[in-house]
Amino acid sequence: MASFETEPPPAQPSGTARRRSGAFIAVFVVLQFLIPLTYLTRDDMADERFTWRRLSEAAAPACETDASLERLDGEREAIAVEKLIHQDWVAYVAQGRRAVVEAFLQKQCEADGVVSVALRNRCDDERGLREYTLRCGGERAHETVRTAAR
Amino acid sequence: MKALERYWFGDVALARPYLLLRMVLVLLAFDTWLNMMPEGAKYGVGAFNVAHFPWFDGFVPSSGFYVGVLAFTGVLALSQALYRPHRIAIALIAMGYTLGWSCSLLDSVPYHYLLSLYLVCFVFFPMLSARAAFSRSERAPRGSVAAYVLFCVTTAIVYFYVAAWAAARGESYWLPMACCVGYLAVSMQDRVELPAIRLLAPMLVAAPLTFHLATPQAGWLPVYMTGIALLVFSPMQWVHTFGRALTQPVRGLLDESVPEQGGLDERASQVFYLSLFGLVIAPMLSMFVDLPGVKTGCSLTAIAMLVVMGRQLYFTPRWRPLWRVASLFAGCLALLVTMSASDARFDYYREGALDADRRGDTEAAMMFREKAERYAP
Repeated sequence: MASFETEPPPAQPSGTARRRSGAFIAVFVVLQFLIPLTYLTRDDMADERFTWRRLSEAAAPACETDASLERLDGEREAIAVEKLIHQDWVAYVAQGRRAVVEAFLQKQCEADGVVSVALRNRCDDERGLREYTLRCGGERAHETVRTAAR
Repeated sequence: MKALERYWFGDVALARPYLLLRMVLVLLAFDTWLNMMPEGAKYGVGAFNVAHFPWFDGFVPSSGFYVGVLAFTGVLALSQALYRPHRIAIALIAMGYTLGWSCSLLDSVPYHYLLSLYLVCFVFFPMLSARAAFSRSERAPRGSVAAYVLFCVTTAIVYFYVAAWAAARGESYWLPMACCVGYLAVSMQDRVELPAIRLLAPMLVAAPLTFHLATPQAGWLPVYMTGIALLVFSPMQWVHTFGRALTQPVRGLLDESVPEQGGLDERASQVFYLSLFGLVIAPMLSMFVDLPGVKTGCSLTAIAMLVVMGRQLYFTPRWRPLWRVASLFAGCLALLVTMSASDARFDYYREGALDADRRGDTEAAMMFREKAERYAP
């Protein structure tokens, strides 16, 4: 067992120490191999975290976003997304990062008298038009994709 | 099985883990202060947050929390790099740093995750003193350091995936693949007796150097990886000589010598009171940094240092607690000097003002703008 203090040069590890270290190393290495592979099973292909797909931050996409909410009386109201959250979150929402979109829609549902929230991302590329709608009280937003660009 | 055991538990020059640990900790300290802290103003805006992991759901880190965690991590990292690292302190740095980036998707810089993996490896590095890592003779001390090999394999896995995804996209992948092979092979160079391998292994450094200089990458990743490559690939004798020259002042530090004047009890109580005094005074330097959370972060670092010193502090006749407190003091001072001499503080307040303006929060914008004007370069 290694001490907490500064040590003399390490001695050759004993059999038990080797077995313990070996088990830790095996788990650590296997996890590092498996975690990037989870990308292949992700719903959100824009989510490239922990995959080493790129070593620089992803470039901000050129998408326009607008959001609206529906109140109990049936009235629809536009939401100024950029007034509510930081610009970086707006970029995530516009990029269609699923976790952020879901959290944003859930957050809008916390206001009194809101029945549903909708968010629309218009992109100039192959992503086309994507609409996310959440009925307040529901768990997951419904996503509609129209691939034809505007 | 034997070959695998030899791979993980074979000897490496102790100079390598010694220098790697310190170099990464120093870079990490300045990286958190200069590159991460200026981003702090965006945290907590609109009480909205999405974390990297679901166990943070519902937690909205404020800018004070984020900057405080970074101040804690940076000061502790630098103090550990300056004087004998302690395993508990390294574990705290790993936790603090990981908490810093993982509490929000606002920090999605890929290499911050890599640094957390490295810090986990560092927890299992031998906590070598300079005297243990660099003998007086020309012969470089060697020992079995499985965590160092794990560090190299971790790096190799990163390059492997960079190469694999590049191949999947139909891009060139031979350079990151050469880095991967290089890291897997070079961790054995100190134990191989064949002169040809000892001569060839250091040449593999060309692959990571070319890759990091030629490819656009986030933040300080090329700086970290270039430094790491130089320490891992260089011939043992070069690393040993470099380390000996670098640690000459540390190896000469007053420590275990018998006191010339007065008894052991008198020196023990002097050390005790001076250490306590230093632990209280050092975090006070952070009052002049003028960023939210920094005072709390530095105070927590002093508490962490107290935990690290543990029984050492309690009436020991050794000087070691004093050097530890001095390293904490140097860490806090370095934070203050870095913040005063760089644009980090200005950037923090300017970004805060711009965002508050955008959201129409005039009161916050005015406060941020006032501070930004105060610290404008």
